[in-house]
Amino acid sequence: MSLLFGDKKRPQYAKGGVDLTFLLFVLVLLVFGLVMMFSASYAYAYYYDGNSFHYITRQLIFAIMGLGAMAFFASWDYHIWHRFAWLSLAVSVVLLILVFTQPSVNDAHRWIWIGSQSFQPSEIAKFSLVLVFAHMISINYDKMKTFRYGILPFGVILVLLAGLIMPEPHLSATVLVVLLGAVMIFVGGASLKWFGLAALGGGALAGVAMMIPAIRDRAMYRIEIWLDPFLDPQGAGFQTVQSLYAIGSGGLLGAGIGNSRQKYLFLPEPQNDFVFAVVCEELGFVGAVLVILFFALLVWRGLMIAVKARDRFGTMLATGLTAQVGLQAVLNVAVVTNSIPNTGISLPFFSYGGTSLMMLLAQMGIILSISRQTALEKE
Amino acid sequence: MMFKLSGNSTRFRLIVVGVLLTVVGFGWVIRNLYQIQLVNGDFYQQRAVAQQLRTTSINANRGAIYDTNMNKLAVSATVWTVLFSPADITDAEAEVLADGMSEILGVDREFIIEKAKNKKNYYQVVKRKVDKEVADQVIEFASKNGIKGVSLEEDTKRYYPYGSLASTVLGFVNGENQGAYGLEAYYNNTLSGTPGRVVSAKNAWGNDMSFQYQDMYQPQDGNSIVLTIDQTVQSVMERHLRTAVIEHGVRNRAAAIFMDVNTGAILGMVTMPDFDPNNPNEIADAATKAELDAMDQDSEEYQQRLFEAQTEQWNNKCISEPNEPGSVFKIITLSSALETGSVEPEDHFYCPGYHMVGSIRKSCWKTAGHGDQTLTQAVENSCNPAFMMIGQALGAHNFYQYFASFGLTQPTGISLPGEAGSIYHSEEALANPLDYENSLTSCSFGQTFKVTPIQLITAVSAAVNGGYLYQPYLVKQVLDSQGNVVENIEPQMKRQVISEETSAEVAKMLESVVVNGSGRNAYIPGYRIGGKTGTSEKIDLYNQTGEMRYILSFTGVAPMDDPQYACLVLLDEPDLDSANAYGSTIAAPIVGSIFSEVLPYLGVEKVYNERELEQADVYLDNQVGKGPHAAQSALTQKGLNSEILGAGGTVVAQVPEAGTKVPPGSTVMLFTDEASQSEQVVVPDVRGKSGLAANQMILNAGLNIRVTGVGVENQYAVAAKQDIAGGTKVPRGTVITVDFANSSMQNIY
Repeated sequence: MSLLFGDKKRPQYAKGGVDLTFLLFVLVLLVFGLVMMFSASYAYAYYYDGNSFHYITRQLIFAIMGLGAMAFFASWDYHIWHRFAWLSLAVSVVLLILVFTQPSVNDAHRWIWIGSQSFQPSEIAKFSLVLVFAHMISINYDKMKTFRYGILPFGVILVLLAGLIMPEPHLSATVLVVLLGAVMIFVGGASLKWFGLAALGGGALAGVAMMIPAIRDRAMYRIEIWLDPFLDPQGAGFQTVQSLYAIGSGGLLGAGIGNSRQKYLFLPEPQNDFVFAVVCEELGFVGAVLVILFFALLVWRGLMIAVKARDRFGTMLATGLTAQVGLQAVLNVAVVTNSIPNTGISLPFFSYGGTSLMMLLAQMGIILSISRQTALEKE
Repeated sequence: MMFKLSGNSTRFRLIVVGVLLTVVGFGWVIRNLYQIQLVNGDFYQQRAVAQQLRTTSINANRGAIYDTNMNKLAVSATVWTVLFSPADITDAEAEVLADGMSEILGVDREFIIEKAKNKKNYYQVVKRKVDKEVADQVIEFASKNGIKGVSLEEDTKRYYPYGSLASTVLGFVNGENQGAYGLEAYYNNTLSGTPGRVVSAKNAWGNDMSFQYQDMYQPQDGNSIVLTIDQTVQSVMERHLRTAVIEHGVRNRAAAIFMDVNTGAILGMVTMPDFDPNNPNEIADAATKAELDAMDQDSEEYQQRLFEAQTEQWNNKCISEPNEPGSVFKIITLSSALETGSVEPEDHFYCPGYHMVGSIRKSCWKTAGHGDQTLTQAVENSCNPAFMMIGQALGAHNFYQYFASFGLTQPTGISLPGEAGSIYHSEEALANPLDYENSLTSCSFGQTFKVTPIQLITAVSAAVNGGYLYQPYLVKQVLDSQGNVVENIEPQMKRQVISEETSAEVAKMLESVVVNGSGRNAYIPGYRIGGKTGTSEKIDLYNQTGEMRYILSFTGVAPMDDPQYACLVLLDEPDLDSANAYGSTIAAPIVGSIFSEVLPYLGVEKVYNERELEQADVYLDNQVGKGPHAAQSALTQKGLNSEILGAGGTVVAQVPEAGTKVPPGSTVMLFTDEASQSEQVVVPDVRGKSGLAANQMILNAGLNIRVTGVGVENQYAVAAKQDIAGGTKVPRGTVITVDFANSSMQNIY
């Protein structure tokens, strides 16, 4: 591998082992996540599939495959991703168009099915966004302050992806893609004024959208339910109410692992987006904070790797991949605690979903690969 | 070109991202978690628990009801409810179940199919309250055929082992095992205990979750109550009342109470016809049932009539129906007048056959008049004019004061639901010059007001027991489920109404009523019985329908030298014409029969007077194996006659047999050979004959007579019953028991 990319123009770097601290955080979160997902899915799997191990079996298989992928990508020199950047974006766009040909689930076209397996193109889109942005920033870093190089191409790609994801509909993925893009552009060195302008433009766009009664009514209703989910505890507020019941029941120390009552069919699909509510119920405030702490440590260590990366591509890649995990964790917990309106967003390492877990671990492998080549800093 | 982080810019921006994500982002959600879990946790948890938990109640065992000798009158047994969970039953299994269960449970095959195929359901009650035996068969059948959707649930059922015994007192329980009538209702809280609870977690579908979430609160079994009712006394009373109701065609049911006059304890309380509390909804009275069966079962009239009939048969007549006491009340008037000194035992009363009250002429029942009478004779004669005079001497104020003091203005407070109060004249009404004479004089002999039988017997008890008014009671003890005594209920004396001297005087006069007067039909040799008849006309009914109906009653007390028990018998509307409808001829013998059976059982010793001693039965020794003449002289010594039959040298048999008791002067047949034994004689029918005639007929037939009832010496005695029917062939010397009744007392109120 190093032969293939061992180009002499590259700066001096120290070659070493993977960042064991980061690896440790990944493994802790993975094990923690598997255990809690098993607990959360136990009753649901029993009642709906007749087998309490239904979800954990699959998740374990994908976790093992994911660990393999992580090791594989960790051993790869991450610079190979320069070559796949545009390709992956093209594939993402094709998949995001293809997804509309797929049967809808809950009136949304978010999944592409291959046999009994499914995956979300928006997941791949997020990865390709990070890849392309890292690629572009590392090439055009000097011109990042300009509109033509620093903003326009990023804006076009962002609008393209967001524009394809939004109508699935998939608001949370759209928001995530936009936030992720913003983080990359920000770290990439774009002028802060553009962020001000983008915020203004976004505000204006939202203002225009609110002029349309259909959108306004839907938005207002979502906000009303968000502010008081007990307005419709059996309908629109159901998930949130059940989630709050679970979290509130946890108290300081929780009911003990395995002892959630809310997972007995009260929480809808407790193994998915609301797995964190079960964590709160079973492990209490202490356990919930511990999980968040590990996410925070992972984010902090990931950004440390970005700081220390051998080159800007590594920095941007590590930034994007870490930010993706961090953003998703914050937003998921925010949804589960009703801090933001309810929207479907999964918790990395915890939520059920084989392909997405495998992809996540592969991406962690890329970060580990970046950690192996650190810049030599002069004392 | 050496890659370098471009100054602090990228590093700074990364730190900004890091801080935003971790400190701001995670900090924000942690703060919200803190709010939800630690600040508002209780709010959410309570609501969560409300949707997660299911409380199932576990029946507490209902306490038993014992009679005074710890015989079980009402007990609860564990029974089972058979359940299907149709969602777990396949169609093929449903067919198998239909065949098996319809046989085991005795229900329609279609019914089982319908229950078993109700697919969306997890809980279908197939049959309630099945016995353990049936329940075992159900489970065995299900497991043998590998059917999972069949289960049992525990329940309890109330059994009344003595059937209809004391049913109107005991009452019964409803389908939910709660007391609906009688003692079961009154003591429901004591008997029912506290149900236990199983709090179990359920899932959102409502199914129970695994057992680790169960919390069980054990049920507190109900306490048992021990009654003052004595099963033996009760059944004797019921037997006599049942016979009387049939014999006299009593239309509006009969009532009887047996009370310990010195404590107020009720040993027996009967309303007849009664019902079977094991099956309280079924009409026990044959005539009413026939009437209902003839009706259209779906009609509103049928429902209405059924409801009426049920309510009527459940009703305890002893406490719920006030009626005019009639002459029985003269005991109270007498007691009050003696106590206040309004009359003296030595006073004489002249009865010309009527008494003038103002300008109203009120007749005595004996239109010829009783002439001059002592007070005792006036009581014996049940003379109305004499009692009008006594009432007038007593005066409205005293009359009312004692009426109230004897507890007749208030319900007694006996521990039974549905006790009625009395209907009476206020002191003002009694004292009203416009009404004064009429009400007071009528009240003095027990007319124009109504009291319940329980009020009446309680008042009479107070009049004879030394003057103490007791609280009548039915429950003497409360036991917990282990049989430990929780509470002993002591007799409760309310007040002393009259002095012991007055009471003794009253008792003495009452005994003479039975010995010499209108209560003769209640006479039993060996027992000092006092009592008073009561015959009241249903005036209000007469005014409505023009048909006169009667309530006949007798209240007896025994033994009079030391009063211990009172017994009241009341027949409401016997099917008798006015010539025969008297408490003295109908109700008094019932009380006499009850006393004669119950008093020996209760250990009241017979004390014979001289005349009775002559008549006391002789215990017959064995004469078999002796020489005939030796036997004869042994019998003669005991005051018995004998007759030797056959030509043998030894007695081979005797009639009556050794060990039996025979009246003095009876003739014992001594058989000396086989041939002589085969001789049989025909029993004559002596019913309707006078005492002397009946006696002679039986002796002539070679039989012995035992006299019961009023006795042969009484000039009015008429044979009413004989124990071996006329025409029967029996061995010579057999004792025929003949019951004599008094035929002359028809005109005594």
